[in-house]
Amino acid sequence: MLRLIWLVPALPLAGAAVNVFFGHRLGRFAGWLASATVAAGYVLAVIALGDLLSLPDHERLHVTRLFHWIGAGRFSLDATLRVDPLSITMVLVVTGVGALIHIYSIGYMEHDPRFARFFAYLNLFVFFMLMLVLADNYLLLYLGWEGVGLCSYLLIGFWHDRPAAANAAKKAFITTRIGDAAMLLGIVLIWVNFHTLEFGNVLGPTRSSGTGALPSTGAYTAISLLLLAGAVGKSAQLPLHVWLPDAMEGPSPVSALIHAATMVTAGVYLIVRSHVLFEMSGTALTVVMVIGLASAIYAALASIGQFDLKRALAYSTMSQIGFMFFAAGMGFYTGAMLLLVCHAFYKALLFLTSGNVMHGLDGETDMRKLGGLRAEMPVSAMWFAIGALALAGIPPLAGFFAKDHIVSFAATSGRSAAWVIASIGAFLSALYIARPLFLTFFGDRRNQEHAHEAPRLMNAPLALLALGAVTAGLVLGFTAERGVLDRFLAPVLGVADHGTHGPSEIVLLAISVGLAVAAVAVAWWIWASRRVDWQAFPERQPELAGWLANAFYINSLYAWLVQVPGKGFGRLLATFDERAVDGAVNGTGAEVRQASRFAPLIQSGFVRSYALAFLLGVAALLLFLGLRF
Amino acid sequence: MPLDNVVFWVFAPISVGSALAMLFQRNAVHAALFLIINFFTIAVFFLVLGAPFLFAVQIIVYAGAIMVLFLFVIMLLGVDGNESLIDRLNGQRPVAIVLGTGLVLELFFAIRAGIGFSAKAPADFDAAVNKGGNAAALSRVLFRQYFFPFEATSVLLIVAAIAVMVLASRQRRAITRAEQAAEERSARTPRTEPA
Amino acid sequence: MRTPIAYFLIVSAMLFSIGTVGVLVRKNALIIFMSVELQLNAVNLALVAFSRMHDSLNGQVLAFFSMVVAAAEVVVGLAIIVNVFRRRQSTSVDDAAVLRG
Repeated sequence: MLRLIWLVPALPLAGAAVNVFFGHRLGRFAGWLASATVAAGYVLAVIALGDLLSLPDHERLHVTRLFHWIGAGRFSLDATLRVDPLSITMVLVVTGVGALIHIYSIGYMEHDPRFARFFAYLNLFVFFMLMLVLADNYLLLYLGWEGVGLCSYLLIGFWHDRPAAANAAKKAFITTRIGDAAMLLGIVLIWVNFHTLEFGNVLGPTRSSGTGALPSTGAYTAISLLLLAGAVGKSAQLPLHVWLPDAMEGPSPVSALIHAATMVTAGVYLIVRSHVLFEMSGTALTVVMVIGLASAIYAALASIGQFDLKRALAYSTMSQIGFMFFAAGMGFYTGAMLLLVCHAFYKALLFLTSGNVMHGLDGETDMRKLGGLRAEMPVSAMWFAIGALALAGIPPLAGFFAKDHIVSFAATSGRSAAWVIASIGAFLSALYIARPLFLTFFGDRRNQEHAHEAPRLMNAPLALLALGAVTAGLVLGFTAERGVLDRFLAPVLGVADHGTHGPSEIVLLAISVGLAVAAVAVAWWIWASRRVDWQAFPERQPELAGWLANAFYINSLYAWLVQVPGKGFGRLLATFDERAVDGAVNGTGAEVRQASRFAPLIQSGFVRSYALAFLLGVAALLLFLGLRF
Repeated sequence: MPLDNVVFWVFAPISVGSALAMLFQRNAVHAALFLIINFFTIAVFFLVLGAPFLFAVQIIVYAGAIMVLFLFVIMLLGVDGNESLIDRLNGQRPVAIVLGTGLVLELFFAIRAGIGFSAKAPADFDAAVNKGGNAAALSRVLFRQYFFPFEATSVLLIVAAIAVMVLASRQRRAITRAEQAAEERSARTPRTEPA
Repeated sequence: MRTPIAYFLIVSAMLFSIGTVGVLVRKNALIIFMSVELQLNAVNLALVAFSRMHDSLNGQVLAFFSMVVAAAEVVVGLAIIVNVFRRRQSTSVDDAAVLRG
C-alpha cells in the first residue's frame, strides 16, 4: 500500500474532474461521489498506516517517486511522495474529517443550484491539501500550499454574487499571498544554501550544502523566518490574520474543513516539518512562540467581542492555532500536533453545528437574535456543547489533554512568564467558547422564527466528529510524554525535553481544570443566568465594546496603511499618465501645430519674394563656385 | 585714341545709364523707350565686336519687333499709369539692391580672375573667322553644324504663334444654369401673358 | 580692336544686375518682363564678346538662337499678361498672390 499512496490524492482529483465536467448531470450523486473519493482515501490511508506500523520504529519512512517533474539546467526535481508518521497523521485527519464534512455538505448544500461545482471545489481542495502533506520536497509542498489557497478563494467566494463573499475571498487570497511570497523566497534560500529541496537532504542528518559545510545560523534564521511568514499567513496568525473572520462568508462546511481542520493548520505542519531548520536558527523558534502566544491572547479577546456566531468561532480558531504555534515555538512539536488533531475534531464539530443553526433559522448568525434554541434543536445543542466543552478543556474531553500538556510544558520547561500568559489564554479560551454556547442555545429566546432541527444526513457525521472530540485526547495523548501520538511521531519530531521546573504535575493539572471550570461558570453567570444584563454592555462601555468587537481595529489600521499609499500612488500614476504621457503625446501635437504656424509665413503668395529667395540662392552658388575655383 | 576705344567709352555709359533710367521710370512707356535706347547701344557693341549680322538682327528683331510689341500691349492695356513708389513687401528693396551690387562684385572678381583686364582680343578676327563676310560665315556654321537647332527653333516659332492665337482669343463666358433658366423664362413669358 | 574684352564683360555684368534688381523691385508685370529682356541682352553681349575672344562663331550662333527664343517667349508672355489683365484689371504682380499659404 505504501507504494500506492499516490492513489490517496489522485482519487479526489479524479472526483473533482468528474464533477467539473459532468456534475450537472449527476444531481445529488455528485455529492456522494465526492464523499466516496475522500472516504476511499481515508480507508487507503488507514491501510498505509498499518503498513507503516509493521515497520520498526526508525524505519518508518517510505518515499515514492512518481515522475521527473522539473529539469531546468542544473535544477532538477522529481515529484516524490513521503509517507512517514507525521504525513500519515495529517493524511488521516484531512481525509477523515474531510469525508465527514463532505457527507454533511450533501444535506447542507442540497438546495444550492451549483451543488456539483461545490463538491468539485471541495475535492480539489482535498487533493491539494494531501499533496501539501505528502510532498517530499519544498516545491511540491508549495504547489499544494498555493493550491489550497486557490481553493480557499473559490470556496469563500462560492456565492460570488454576494459582494461581501467576493471581497472576503479576494482579501483572503491577497493576505495569504504576502506570506506565500515570503515563503517562496525562503524556498529559494533553501536551494541556495542546500542545493536541494528534498526533505531528506535538507532536514535529515546528511544535510549539507554543496561545499560540505553547514550554512550559517544567519541563513537558517532567514530561511526559518521566511517560511514562518508563509505559515503566519496561511494559519491566520498576527499580523496576517485579517482574512480569517471575513472568510466566514463562505458556507459552513467550508469554514469547517478549510478554516478549522485543515488549511489553517498547514502552517503548523510546515513549522513542525521544518523544525530542524528552526532549531538550527534558535531565534526563529522564539519568534514562533511569541507570535503564537500573542495571537492566542489577541484572538481570545476579540472572540469575546463578536456577536456573529461564525466570526466568534473564527477568532477561536486563530487562538487555538496560536497555542499550536506556542507549543512548536517551545520545541514541543508533538504537543502541537496533538492539539492540531483534537482541534480538527471539535472545531469542525462546532462549525458544522453552527451550520445547523443557520440551516434551521434561514441563515441567521447574529447571536443577539438567537437564544434558547436548546428546546427546538436539542441534537445540535448537544453537539455544540460537546465541542465547546472539549475546546474549553473540561476533562476527559479532547481539548483538556491537548491544552493541558502544552501549558504544563511551559511551566516545566522553566518558562514561567509564558506559563502565566498561556494559563490566562486557556482561561480566556474556555470563556470565549462557552459564550456562544450559552448565547445561542440557552437563555431567553430572542427570535420569533421557529427553528427546525437539521436532518439526519447532517447530524450523522456530527456524531462521529463528536466521538472524536470526546475520545481523541484520551486515546492519543493521555500522558504528556509517553502518549500514543508522542511515541508515534517521535522518529520524525524528536522527543521534547519537558524539564522539571515549576509546580508538580498534580498542581498543574488542578490549575488547568480549575481555570476551565471557572471560565465556564463565569460564562454561565454572564450570558445564561439572566443575572447580568450583557446586552447593555455596548451602551455602558462603548469604547471597550468597540475595541473588542472590531478586534482592536487592526482591520482599519491595515485598510488605512494600504489605502493611503495605494491611493497616493494611484493618484501619482494618474497624474503622471495625464501630464507626462498624455502631455508628451498632446504636447507633441501642440508643438507641431505651433511650429507649423511659422511655415506659412514664407508662403506669401508674392512672386517677387519667391524670386528674391531664388536669386539669393543663385548669388550664393556663384560665391561658392567663385571661392572654389 | 583708337576708334573702337572711343566708341566703347561713348556707348558704354549710355548703355548703363539707359538701363538705370529704365529701372527708375514710373511710367511704363518711358521705361520701354529707355530700353530701346539700351538695345541700340548693344547693337553697336555687336558691331564693334565683329558681329555685323547680329547688329542688324538686334535692331530689326529686338528694338523693332519685340519692343514695338511691348508698346502695343502697354497702350492696349492702358497701364501707362504711374506705379506707386511704396513697396508692400518689407525689406524687398534694400535686399534686392544689395543682391544686385553683390552680383556685380562677384562677376567683377570672376572676370578679373578668369580673363584679367589686360587681355585684348586677337587682331585678325575678320580675316580668320568672318571669311566672305559675317553673314556668309555665320550661315556656313548655322546650316551645317547647327542645322537641327535651327529647325527646332522654327518649329518653336510656329508653336508660339499658335499658342498666342489660342491664349489671346476672347473666351465665351460660361453660362450658369440659373442664367439659362432665367433666359428661358424671359423667352416664354410674352406667350402666356394676355395681349 | 584695342579695347580689352573684359570691359565688355563688365558692361554685360552691370546690365545683368540692373535687370535682376528690376525683376525684384518693380511691381508692374510688363516692366518686370522688360527687365528680363534686359538680362537676356546682357547675356547675348557676353556671348558675342567671348566669341570674339576665342576666335570662333559659336558664341554668335548661340546669341542668335537666344534672340529667336526670346522673341517667341516675349510673344507668349505678353499673351499671358493680357489674359491675366483681363481677369484682374491690374498688372501689379502683387495682386496675383492667390497661392498664399
